[in-house]
Amino acid sequence: MDFELTSDQEALVSAIDKLAQRFETKPTEFHGFALVGRELEEELTEGQYFDVARVPELGPLAAAMAVERLARLPCTAEIALSMLLRPHLPGEWPRPLGLIEGGRPGRFVAGARTVIAIEGDSVRLAQPAAAEVEPVESLLAYPMGRLRSGLTSTPLAGVEAASVRKWLRVALAAEASGLLQAAVASAVEHLTLRKQFGRPLGTFQALRHRMAECAVLAGGVRWLALKAAATADDGDAALAAMHAQESATRIVYDVHQMLAAMGMTLEHPLHLWTYRLKALLAELGGRGGQAMAVARHCFGASA
Amino acid sequence: MDFDWDPEQRAFRAAIRDFLSAHLPPDWELQAHGPASQLQSAFSKRFCGELARVGLLVPHWPKRWGGRDADPWAAFILAEEMWAAGEPRGGQYMNVNWIGPTLMRFGTEAQQQRYIPPMARGETIWCQGFSEPEAGSDLASLRTRAEKEGATYRITGQKIWTSYAGHADTCFLLARTSAGKDGISVFLLPMDTPGIIVRQIPSIIGEGDIHEVFLDGVALPADALLGSEGQAWEIARTALSLERVGIPRFALATRMLHRAVETLKRGGRFGQGAVGQAGIARAACEAARYYSYSIVDKRRHGKTVGPEASAARYATVMAEKLVSEFVVEHVPESLSGGDAMLLAHHQRAIVAGIASGAAEIQLNLVATELLKLPREPR
Repeated sequence: MDFELTSDQEALVSAIDKLAQRFETKPTEFHGFALVGRELEEELTEGQYFDVARVPELGPLAAAMAVERLARLPCTAEIALSMLLRPHLPGEWPRPLGLIEGGRPGRFVAGARTVIAIEGDSVRLAQPAAAEVEPVESLLAYPMGRLRSGLTSTPLAGVEAASVRKWLRVALAAEASGLLQAAVASAVEHLTLRKQFGRPLGTFQALRHRMAECAVLAGGVRWLALKAAATADDGDAALAAMHAQESATRIVYDVHQMLAAMGMTLEHPLHLWTYRLKALLAELGGRGGQAMAVARHCFGASA
Repeated sequence: MDFDWDPEQRAFRAAIRDFLSAHLPPDWELQAHGPASQLQSAFSKRFCGELARVGLLVPHWPKRWGGRDADPWAAFILAEEMWAAGEPRGGQYMNVNWIGPTLMRFGTEAQQQRYIPPMARGETIWCQGFSEPEAGSDLASLRTRAEKEGATYRITGQKIWTSYAGHADTCFLLARTSAGKDGISVFLLPMDTPGIIVRQIPSIIGEGDIHEVFLDGVALPADALLGSEGQAWEIARTALSLERVGIPRFALATRMLHRAVETLKRGGRFGQGAVGQAGIARAACEAARYYSYSIVDKRRHGKTVGPEASAARYATVMAEKLVSEFVVEHVPESLSGGDAMLLAHHQRAIVAGIASGAAEIQLNLVATELLKLPREPR
């Protein structure tokens, strides 16, 4: 057990951080939900960052650190699935990946070269033609899309499907970790600057305690996400996704409450993180789904 | 960053588990599991003596005092395994974690020779005389006075909610030698000194845990002062930095959660509601575990431990609370004679957010020092 970064991890984290710094601010004229970072995606492609998990010195743990850092940006791109899940798909499947569950609109589907379709216990992979997918307008801050019709897809065997679920959970937790940190930081900034009753809101204990609890929860999500990426254990992945969804449920509400009326606007960037978290809350069956996975992998329950 | 235990850490944990399976009677938790009963205190002295003989009581202490200079991971692995087993060391965990090391740093040679060897042999119990009726979280307002009369300090006042006081040999006592925050001093008070009255406070957490301690003109020689007059805050800060990680409550909470789930599974009662709550609680326990590990890791690398220790402590409080709530809702019979171990855990779980500094104080520290929110007006 040693939490110091190796020199390779350090180098990657610092390179990603340097790259990310150029995308830190929300364009003032943008008042939508999904701020798509095309330039960010191009730079990540150019730097071959989507394949860092395949580099033996880096692996999924370093990839999770990159996912977490990039999720803190106001803009979004299909990063987590490519970095954490794609290396574990059977065979070579082109990125970007899109995710569809139960036929509902899913993240990144409209631009996906590979779609992961989950239906009950079955997991299938497909490479849709452009005409087979379409974007969907959504309140969620990811580009959401759906299939126009059924696809020719490849079913995965049980073991492969379980592996997809596991790495989806890791990807979800790592992404949520970054989103939660950014959302908390955004609310903290507001509480520090905004004055009411003649003093900064952040001096009121009722708000301080709630934010401190949010910060503790977000920190826990980060540790479990990193651990799950490192161990590649089914139970660890289930716990990480469980804690991510449970904590996000609480934090998303609280940070908007902290911003009050400002938190209802599309001028403030908070929703760019929280409305991505809302998309993650529903994935893989939500908390109930993760709880079933925890029961199976950690408590040995057959249910 | 590496989430694997190294071979030495694995071997150390295995050695502790081997020791526990050989030396902890299978029914010990039903007999002596509890905070500070007469039975538990007597048991802890026998048990800690055995731990000392095999080098498992104070491995992280310097060689001079019976340790082997083991790193902070060894101390924490030990604490984790002991707490998961129901803490058979009883109150002696305090000696091992912070009282001994604090005396090593601030004690005179005579104080060290008198007090440290009995701790290293596992044969003595200490209590901490901090809280007072008017000074709980606001410790700086404590009123117990220590007045110098020639070569003697005369101590008058009252301590309250003092754990282990009924069985303690010595008290790590805070008393006021002058006015103001810098007027507080630390005294090493033998509990058989005339003028001390200890009264047990009936408590939810079990027989004999918390007490009132009345100090009625207790005369202490000047050499009972630890460090110098007014040095209490500096000493307390050191003690706190040694104890920053706190008790690994998540270890027993995890074990009790699994025990409760096993009970439900056996009875065919591990249904949807229980599965959901168990998952949330299990994840919270794991989050608390890795939060705590991150503090140990910082200490291992000689880094300053800051407000993240308060965050780790609060994460542990949340985990303990979730497990308690799970048991109350899904295995309620354990509170009515059904399972002595779940009962004992539930009794003690209420302490998590209260002892060693209220959880709300930790939240204030997180808000100010970690989130850098502006301070509250005073």
